[in-house]
Amino acid sequence: MTRVSISRKFEFSASHRYWREEWTAEKNNEVFGKCTSPYGHGHNYELHVTLSGPIDPKTGMIVNLTEVKKRVSRILEDFDHKYLNLDNPHFKEQVPTTENIALVLFRLIDADLSHDGFELLKIRLYEKSDLYAEVWR
Amino acid sequence: MLHVTFSRVYTFCAAHRLNSPWYDEMKNFEIYDKCNNASGHGHDYRLEVSLIGTPDRQTGMIWDMVDMDSKVREVLDTLDYKHLNREVPYFRDKIATSENLIQYLWMHLEKRFPPDYLYHLKLWETNNNYFEMGRSNAQ
Repeated sequence: MTRVSISRKFEFSASHRYWREEWTAEKNNEVFGKCTSPYGHGHNYELHVTLSGPIDPKTGMIVNLTEVKKRVSRILEDFDHKYLNLDNPHFKEQVPTTENIALVLFRLIDADLSHDGFELLKIRLYEKSDLYAEVWR
Repeated sequence: MLHVTFSRVYTFCAAHRLNSPWYDEMKNFEIYDKCNNASGHGHDYRLEVSLIGTPDRQTGMIWDMVDMDSKVREVLDTLDYKHLNREVPYFRDKIATSENLIQYLWMHLEKRFPPDYLYHLKLWETNNNYFEMGRSNAQ
């Protein structure tokens, strides 16, 4: 029997800059283009969090979305209205590309939710409507 | 061998109330909050139906779209403009959550197509949450 999954959408706004200190300015510009602009630039990110698991026959639900919303929103506080390169410790060493942000978010959300037996199946992170990264097991 | 899917989007609107006979009034409100509202509430559901198959050599189609529409509408007509708890027998002893609703849809859609044609369902309850069921590995 195929499984059922449930997804909830979240939004956060953040700025970032693509830059590697150990590279020359030329090399940075060549690789990252306009994403190197010195003071950063921003996006309205859209995050889809997808969970799976058995449906509780007593509640008819896989998870209580209110609980998921509370936990994910708490995690997003470190991302929302921040300059990721400076304000979020996860991007001290790595460039805050959509791929890297998605990986960091997957690990954080997974660690928080799996603690209570929720099964994180997948996340999808939109940087804008025409660009997204996905992480799943 | 490459696979091709074909998807169509449908909408229907229905009312429901989330309330479990296993729990008392207070516990039900604690679990479902405003979805527990005694007289119910409703949604404009959006359903994406995906079929998988080999395009027919003569028509170039996986499945005739007009026929697909009529098959899907047949199922959606059992829900459209209804109060799920009160008017759809399936939900007499099942809670009308979207987890259960998508299973109802899968069950009724699957048997209207040849085996393995129904590939994926995505059911949007609001613009902020959706439910999926399907054969793909990474849903």
